[in-house]
Amino acid sequence: MSAPNKAAPAEADHQEQRAATLPRPTLARRLGLQRYAIIIVFIAMFIAFALAVPSTFLSIGNLSNILGGQAVLFILVMAVMLPTIMGDFVDLSLGSSLGLSAMTLAVLNVQHHTNVAVACLAGVGAALVVGLVNVFFVVYFDNDPFIVTLGTMTIVQGVTYIISGSNSIGIVSTSLSNWIFTYNFLSIPLEFYYGLAIFLVIWYVLSFTPVGQKALVLGQSREVARLTGVRVNKMRSWGFILGAGVAGLAGIAYAGTNGTIDPTAGGDLILPAFAAVFLGVTAIKPGRINPLGAFIAVYFLATGTAGFQLLGTQSYIQQIFYGAALVAAITIPKANRERFFKKRRTAEAR
Amino acid sequence: MEQALAPPAVELHNISKAFGSNRALDGVDLRIGSGEVVGLLGQNGSGKSTLVKIMSGVYDPEPGGRMLVGGAEVPLPLPPGQASEIGLSFVYQNLALAPGLTVLENLTLGQRITAGGWKLINWISEHRAARAVLDRYQVHLDLDQKTGELAPVDQARLAIVRAAEDLRRYRARSGGSHSVLVLDEPTVFLPEEEIDRLFDLIRTVVTEGAAVLFISHDLAAVQAITDRVVVLRDGQVVAEEVTADIDEEALVDLIVGASASARQAAVDTSHVVALVEDQRAVELTREAMESVGDAAGLGESVVVEHVVDERLHDVSFEIGAGEILGVAGLIGSGAEELPYLLFGARQAISGSLRLGAERMNVGKLTPQRSVRERIALVPADRTVQGLSQGLTLWENITMLVEDEHYRNGIFRRGELLKLAEDAIDRFLIRPPLAHAPAGTFSGGNQQKALMAKWLIARPRLLLLHEPTQGVDVGARRDIYRFVKAAATLNQMAVLWVTTEFGELAEVCDRVIVLTQGQHTETLTGEELSEEAISAAALRQTREVI
Repeated sequence: MSAPNKAAPAEADHQEQRAATLPRPTLARRLGLQRYAIIIVFIAMFIAFALAVPSTFLSIGNLSNILGGQAVLFILVMAVMLPTIMGDFVDLSLGSSLGLSAMTLAVLNVQHHTNVAVACLAGVGAALVVGLVNVFFVVYFDNDPFIVTLGTMTIVQGVTYIISGSNSIGIVSTSLSNWIFTYNFLSIPLEFYYGLAIFLVIWYVLSFTPVGQKALVLGQSREVARLTGVRVNKMRSWGFILGAGVAGLAGIAYAGTNGTIDPTAGGDLILPAFAAVFLGVTAIKPGRINPLGAFIAVYFLATGTAGFQLLGTQSYIQQIFYGAALVAAITIPKANRERFFKKRRTAEAR
Repeated sequence: MEQALAPPAVELHNISKAFGSNRALDGVDLRIGSGEVVGLLGQNGSGKSTLVKIMSGVYDPEPGGRMLVGGAEVPLPLPPGQASEIGLSFVYQNLALAPGLTVLENLTLGQRITAGGWKLINWISEHRAARAVLDRYQVHLDLDQKTGELAPVDQARLAIVRAAEDLRRYRARSGGSHSVLVLDEPTVFLPEEEIDRLFDLIRTVVTEGAAVLFISHDLAAVQAITDRVVVLRDGQVVAEEVTADIDEEALVDLIVGASASARQAAVDTSHVVALVEDQRAVELTREAMESVGDAAGLGESVVVEHVVDERLHDVSFEIGAGEILGVAGLIGSGAEELPYLLFGARQAISGSLRLGAERMNVGKLTPQRSVRERIALVPADRTVQGLSQGLTLWENITMLVEDEHYRNGIFRRGELLKLAEDAIDRFLIRPPLAHAPAGTFSGGNQQKALMAKWLIARPRLLLLHEPTQGVDVGARRDIYRFVKAAATLNQMAVLWVTTEFGELAEVCDRVIVLTQGQHTETLTGEELSEEAISAAALRQTREVI
């Protein structure tokens, strides 16, 4: 970058200096490292498990379990990502939307003998209604999404109890569970491919279209987006509605996988889903919510969990692993050695 | 008189301060007697705020400067937080009130912070004490109301009561008789009829025993409340007068000071002449404007009629094709609203905007519509409204044109990157790192990126608000050139709003002056000088209602 404006040498010098002070190589190196850190750890972890318990960890059954067993969570992660990427951090109601969708499906299918396809549509429809309610209170009335969705989450849970009569409902039509869970391709249940398809659509829209780019601007700085002509409220509304719709799809997958639906369904999935989204923020495009990062994060966590189970650890290790991975992933890139030592030194000087 | 016997409340001797080669203050002496209200006047950049910041301990003066408070020498620089310990208290334009807290909480905030964290708060006695304080100053407010819900004038009064109360406590504690309340632009956003209530309060504060330093652009306010005025120009005290002995016209002349400003203007011109000789840069700018494409030679004129909002009363003007129209006005005059209203970023009450053959209702304008009509807004707050700090430079620059690079379901990221890299080159953005986050660039380079973002979207009308705020001289020069090139080569209509009147004189073809929300004067050709614009903006203050 030889400065083109030679007629103002002083100014050019000044700018050159500024260029020199911008930490270009270190930044690039750090970003590079951070970008692929999870993948590197993922591979290392995979090799470690493969060496520790080769016969079970590398079995087809286990690999299919890792990929297929987390499909519901994976679809929910995609749902969580939609409002979150547009700056509406935390739609807590998505987990209970999943539960409501699954329960609506089950009640219609099992108790009212509705055709399973119609029941599925009704399930997704119920979830969409929750999304619309969120839009009404968050976007239209300009409320804090955390507080509103905390409320709608609780309400939807209550509604799920009402429609189920506080009972577990089962068993949903086997044709549903066949098409979701039993049939497989390359030994992996079909639901994994459904999740993959949803992922591919969302990935394409968010990362390879102007709409996705606008969503990103909106999520990063709402005011800039507004003054650039982005229809801020319309876009946020779609984030909530589509997010709820995808959560409804996750509910169908849940119903197909489990057969029997408990009124608490989905409640224990929402926090792991957020963990995966935020863990994904540290990968591929650091600092940004991105679908590919979330994809990797989900299966990183799934692999870790499966591996620990095979090693014979207790099931609570899964929770500890989730939490620790999330905290470590956002902290390690910031643990700047120099800064750490400088702080210590100034502390000693006092 | 006893004033002559008692030492002055505060005395400043030989205060100087330089920022780089710019001497902000040059041997300033200032004396404020006990019980006196002194007005400090001067244009933007005359050194008023630097002087206040030295008094409050934000800046260190150069060696040789002395400050005496109540006759006792105070070592400069003042350590932070020390000012309130020696009987100086400050109320700034932003008032430093927490809008979400109640009147009572705001009133006692200072004591909370100094009084240690674990002392029990007796809210009942606090309430009683606060009520007594407000009564003493004859300010009647609901102690439990949220401060943000108060009228602006009541917020100002609350801030002043709080500061005055600090001073009263100081006097009681030290047994001293001196104390100074510094009011920095307290009347800017206040409606006409409410200013008197503020003045009553200031008089009460003076009766209570404090001296007041009153800093303002509002000459009518200064004449109403002060005993004496001190005028700063180019960092020096140019006049000290008894307020009653001087009229507004004479004050304007003192503030603007024709000869000194003329010299200043000459210096500014030399900057701009130098840059035009920078052939390479000029060539790049020309390329940039040519790449802008089909807007070239379109040449639409703009007619704005009857714009009304809370601060603007029926403002109308025209901008010819290829014309740069400056809008001058002091803070609070409503000039700063115009670009946002004409873009639809804020809602006007009514008004019409004719752009070429189209007529738009300003009251119903939205940013989406404006972007579609290719109206560009470069806002003053570039970090919040201009560039998304976390996104990369290239994403920011191409934000407005990305739709054109999505064809057949494929997002042509390569094309956008190329476009951004060309813009980075032509708009001289340094360092030329397209992938670095926008927030890592210096103010000047961010501003150039913001100009690039809008100019590559081929605007028909370019609205600029303080486009060179916080920008170094080099970048400022570049920005002048970009805008001039856009206007002359692409026949773009430009609206340039700033309180830097020298800049308007430099770049604009015509300048309109707004005072109190009304278009009061138009300056063209020979009349365009910093001093003429300043005088016009100052003079009509509060004459027209």
